[in-house]
Amino acid sequence: MLVRSGVIQLRSLPAPSTLFSTFWRLAFIDGVFWKHFSGSFYRLLSGYLLAVFLGTIIGALLAQKEILRDLFEPTLNILMSVPTIAWIPIFLITLGLGDKTVITAIFISSFFAIVYNTMRGIELIDKNTVNAARMMGLSGVKMFTFVLFPASLLSIINGLRLAIGYAWRALVGGELLAALIERGLGKMVYQARYFNDAAVMLVGLLVIGILGYLLDQFFLTVLEKRTVEKWGMTHKK
Amino acid sequence: MENIIQIRNLFKSFRENGKELVAVDHIDLEIPKNQFTVLIGPSGCGKTTLLNMIAGFEKPTSGEISLNGKLIIKPAPDRGYVFQDYALFPWRTVLGNITFGLVHNGWNKPDAEEKAQELIDLVNLQGFEHAYPHTLSGGMKQRVAIARALAYDPEVLLMDEPFGALDAQTRKHMQRELSKILEKKRKTVVFVTHSVIEAVFLADLVVVMTARPGRIKGMVRIDLPRPRSYVEDHYLQYRKQILDLLEEEVEKELKEDGGHPEL
Repeated sequence: MLVRSGVIQLRSLPAPSTLFSTFWRLAFIDGVFWKHFSGSFYRLLSGYLLAVFLGTIIGALLAQKEILRDLFEPTLNILMSVPTIAWIPIFLITLGLGDKTVITAIFISSFFAIVYNTMRGIELIDKNTVNAARMMGLSGVKMFTFVLFPASLLSIINGLRLAIGYAWRALVGGELLAALIERGLGKMVYQARYFNDAAVMLVGLLVIGILGYLLDQFFLTVLEKRTVEKWGMTHKK
Repeated sequence: MENIIQIRNLFKSFRENGKELVAVDHIDLEIPKNQFTVLIGPSGCGKTTLLNMIAGFEKPTSGEISLNGKLIIKPAPDRGYVFQDYALFPWRTVLGNITFGLVHNGWNKPDAEEKAQELIDLVNLQGFEHAYPHTLSGGMKQRVAIARALAYDPEVLLMDEPFGALDAQTRKHMQRELSKILEKKRKTVVFVTHSVIEAVFLADLVVVMTARPGRIKGMVRIDLPRPRSYVEDHYLQYRKQILDLLEEEVEKELKEDGGHPEL
């Protein structure tokens, strides 16, 4: 509205209707949008799922043994405060300019949030809950799967939520910088620059934002409703 | 009478702010089989520490505890534990909580559920099988916890002030329920409390502990028929006997506290 009514004079900013038609063209006439989309989605899922898998396991291990935690927590804190974008040049020269770099960047960005939240979640479990299970003879992997994991799920989900935000940022940043990648939402936005095509850029940004929101709504919020909320763990006793 | 637990020369100390605090000071004690033993004492007397060592949650500094002649080194399903704060698994239903110990000790699911149903009947929770713990009242949660601990049929049931968090009415009700449950299902019970009323109502044997460091002050055998009431003459005599033992300890504790020059 601001654009149509002339309040914003910038010629390069398109109106929402233009955005919609651009989206329509990209998605259903050119079809090129889906290639960008699936390229990004593949990278996101690979990096993120790997981080979820390894992050929970390593977080759980760190929580188990005080020695391990004392050893790695400072390292973890240092690594966690390095912005992902700063990692990318290193990956570019070690892993090349392709998918591997972007997936690793996504992995790194989400991994630490997951490790940290899993570790803290397990540490905060009521001691007696664990003792009750020890009494029944549980230990090791069984203890983690059936007790520590569900008991710390609230904190783990918080980690997953933070991590997916970081993962998105790493994805877009990585795609901008990794020259060999041809398709991806980040790439789409970046390439539009050459044509001064603000509509494509904004479509890209909107899609990235909306997808992030949808992932949260349809994956994490549903997960939350079916687990910790149903179990009454979201509000303190 | 047969004893199931032998405690020999048990000593436990903690380091706190560089000072050594003695919680349990060389205790020797035998716990009789299939009887209800209550550990009672002023707060901080190490009765819970003693119970936790029987459970295997804490290790003695020196001395040993054995169950059926076997040394206790860690928690195991030959013991069941009921916590003051219930410690139920919030992610499992009532039924899921009770079957948990069974399924993880080799029972198949249908058998475990049948057994759990038996216990649900025993603790009077019919109709709540599929409820999650957070929807239950304190008294009901504690009944689930008792059923969960009894489900896998441990040799000994350890209870740490299990009714301490309940209101007075529910507490009395749960005391009656517990003695009914144990009439139907004979068990060795070790029960920690600081309530004399509770001790005399439930116990066959009351072990009175001293203020810190925890030693055994005296033992009172309660020879009263069950079901018991709270007001019989005999009952009051026993209460007085235990209270006299305790009173010295509480006074001693107060004197020690008051005796600090800086206070």
